[in-house]
Amino acid sequence: MYDELSLFDNAFIADLLRKAGNQVEYWDIRATVSEGTTIDFTDQRSTEISSYEMTNCGIRAFINGGWGFSVLKDLNKDSIRSSFLKSIKLAKLTQSLLKNEFKIIERNPIEKSFKINCKLPLSDVDIEDKIKLVKNHEKIATSSSKLVTNTRTIYMDGVSNYVFINSFGSKIKQKLSYLRLLNMVYSRKAGITQRSINSVGGLGGFEIVSTEKAEKLSEKTALESIKLLDAKSPIGGQFTIIADPKLAGTLIHEALGHACEADLVLSKESILKEKINKEIALTDINVIDDPSMGQGKKLGLPYELFGSYFIDDEGIPSQKTTVIEKGVLKNYLHNLETSSRMNFPPNGHGRASSSSAKPQVRMGFTYIEPKDWNIEELIQDTKNGILCKDFLYGYTNPTTGNFQFKCKFSYKIENGEKKELMRDVALSGMILEVLKKITAIGDKNTFGFSSGICGKNGQNVHVSDGGPYIRVDDITVGGLN
Amino acid sequence: MDEDIDIFELAKFAIKIAEKNYPNYKCAEIFVGKSEYLNIEVEENSVKYSEIGRNHGISIRIYRKNGSIGFAFTNKLNKKVVEKIVKNAIKMMRVGTPDPNFKNLPEKLKNYVVVKDLYDKSIKSLLIEDAIEFVKDLIKVCTEDDQTVSQSGDFTASSNFSYIFNSNGIEVSGEESLFNISSNIIVKDTMNGEASNGYESQMKRKLADIDGTKTAEEALRNAKRNLGRKKIKTKKMPVILSPKGTINLILNPIASAINAEMYQYKRSFLVGKRGKKIGSDLINIDDQGIINGRVGSSVFDGEGFPCRNKKIIVHGLFLQSGLLHNSYTAGKEGVESTGNASRRSFSSVPSIGITNLIFQCGTAQKDELIQNVKEGILLNSTADSPNIATGDFSGLISQGNLIQNGEIKHALNETMFGINLLDLFENITSISKEYKIYGPYSAPYVKIDNVQIIGAQS
Repeated sequence: MYDELSLFDNAFIADLLRKAGNQVEYWDIRATVSEGTTIDFTDQRSTEISSYEMTNCGIRAFINGGWGFSVLKDLNKDSIRSSFLKSIKLAKLTQSLLKNEFKIIERNPIEKSFKINCKLPLSDVDIEDKIKLVKNHEKIATSSSKLVTNTRTIYMDGVSNYVFINSFGSKIKQKLSYLRLLNMVYSRKAGITQRSINSVGGLGGFEIVSTEKAEKLSEKTALESIKLLDAKSPIGGQFTIIADPKLAGTLIHEALGHACEADLVLSKESILKEKINKEIALTDINVIDDPSMGQGKKLGLPYELFGSYFIDDEGIPSQKTTVIEKGVLKNYLHNLETSSRMNFPPNGHGRASSSSAKPQVRMGFTYIEPKDWNIEELIQDTKNGILCKDFLYGYTNPTTGNFQFKCKFSYKIENGEKKELMRDVALSGMILEVLKKITAIGDKNTFGFSSGICGKNGQNVHVSDGGPYIRVDDITVGGLN
Repeated sequence: MDEDIDIFELAKFAIKIAEKNYPNYKCAEIFVGKSEYLNIEVEENSVKYSEIGRNHGISIRIYRKNGSIGFAFTNKLNKKVVEKIVKNAIKMMRVGTPDPNFKNLPEKLKNYVVVKDLYDKSIKSLLIEDAIEFVKDLIKVCTEDDQTVSQSGDFTASSNFSYIFNSNGIEVSGEESLFNISSNIIVKDTMNGEASNGYESQMKRKLADIDGTKTAEEALRNAKRNLGRKKIKTKKMPVILSPKGTINLILNPIASAINAEMYQYKRSFLVGKRGKKIGSDLINIDDQGIINGRVGSSVFDGEGFPCRNKKIIVHGLFLQSGLLHNSYTAGKEGVESTGNASRRSFSSVPSIGITNLIFQCGTAQKDELIQNVKEGILLNSTADSPNIATGDFSGLISQGNLIQNGEIKHALNETMFGINLLDLFENITSISKEYKIYGPYSAPYVKIDNVQIIGAQS
């Protein structure tokens, strides 16, 4: 499957360098060859079992602030050459019209190969074993209660070979592998339908499905959807909330992370413009984005997190970046362009959803560092509030700073005690205000994470986020009552 | 580029391979898609980025007699790889589970209706230089305005060719064009430094219908209307949805709730409501697949079945025939497909989607609607969506203004609202004559009484 990428040999690269000559200031080429499987079951029946074999290639050229990008599907030297020239032409045209000129600062070239280590490589696993796994989860979910009306389990895996070359002289090769298992359960009682979704996944091989979290996936989802049947709709108003690690992670991703993306800062869309070295949060809080490999291991997992990568899609190695230190904004997240324009070292956040899409500034694994509260104390110390667990979705408007999340489970807290369950609790607040309303940060025993898909300008990438339990005062809670 | 590849021949080759390797299959379908696009992006109110690209691929969907399905796709359009993926699809089919609910893929039908203006041939000669003119219109609007800080936006032109061939005798092909322009404008209040943004977009089949100036002007109006944000108190009051609000809050959720797959799996809040009143007499909603020139129109759907027009909700009555079907869900219910099989590209199995979802307009004047409100909210957009299974909605008003004594006042900050969609449908008391088309949706202004607003003002 992978021989297509061998066409990027030294002679061919030298030929491209010659063709570019001094017409362009920067260029890069990304190419991917991938294979994968999808297994989709509903109510214990297969609705899709599929496999694919795909190639993707994108060529970028840059002149004085203008970019040209050309996407092709046929990996052969002729079509790459002709697309290469097209992207140069596009860059010339773009730069002839633009008013913001800038340069891309040259970075050290990297020549390296990377590989995701898999205990059980996906190519060694028979399709029947994958189906058996899905069937098993479907069975567990369906038979867990008579209230379950509908179940769905999706298994997705993929392996790919990736090549990156650029005009700095970088040549990077990667062998990647991922797996994701998703389970959805609907239950119904007294005319009310409730749903829960959970997924596990990351970078690695088939061993991912044998982790405890993966094995309990469908059981957990079914229990949750049944539990939600008895949950009440919330009463709207202003509340103190305690967010679990998953929600705390989403909160930091939405309420801070997006506004730290330097492309939004440059386009004046971010409320965090001109806030570097300013105190924007409680002095106790540290926020990190660290997409480097090895995070999974630190969390006791035999695979890598979805938000991790060896190197970004512009050839910059992933690294730990301190976003907030003791409440002070320290760094934005950068790609090649923003780091050049703002004169910061690049920190490896130029990511693309595929080789056919252009890299944008994206987060990796964003988290709040733990402090000292244990969870029992945290609840006991909260007179009246809501304990919010897990999330359904979240979004933010980086310009106004208004954000919103939908929680999966929420419990009322009365006089320091956890009480009844509520569903569809929506939380809203303002980015810069909420960071100052955090009144307690949990200890390292409460640390957790979640992985999900984050969309920006039509591109979806895998991200992870996390943190300990945190408490936030004065959050607007939406409700039907 | 495999320009010379004969995709018709390749499709037939794929079916032959299937026949050779599994003669006893029930039915099979080949889908070939080819697309080309160009895109120009504006950042910081300047041309920044241009892109061209193409995509193509082939997929096979094959069923065994017992209903088990196999699917495979590739974008390598050569016989060697196609043979491999057909064999893969057969392998997938063999290990799938039986499905007695699967009846058949569409069979060769009567005539297809002619739907005009789905392909604008000017796309063939469209150069990136021409496309840039549209983007210049966006930029100009901002350059001429004092409060504007920045604009991002883009223009995209694409053409999509699809060819569907199945073993039941369906063989259709067609080409469609799509043009898109969008603008997101950031404005700043020079007095207090408050920033806000406004968004607007157009999606059209015909290039000449794209108007960059209008798009940016509307984005700018939205941005300015969103300045001066204030918190309000928690209270019940009427809400007037702008066409965008109507799409967010009514049409989008309806599109999911009438999807036969959602319905049959009981994932829709409309389960059990067919043939019943689900709201105000004023609600009339259609799904119209064959209107000339519309973005959601097509001659045939993702399975090659003819598209058509149908009524969904009539005077608040959710019709017995008001579900959107593909061949699978139709077969399961024992009815004919409604031509709503949708697939994003060759790489997906057909799901179900709307064609053009139309909320029929009413008789009220939009301005009068607003003038008659003593205290209420004009809701332009929410990025939230309801829980389709329960119909419960609670979310943030991302762009909205207070209405006081019939006048549009300040924008809203941190204001949320909550309502169940069935209550919302019941509480619709007026619908405007004026309407707007956004992509596959047509929507008027809609007035809803008695909505729970949750403000952050203590």
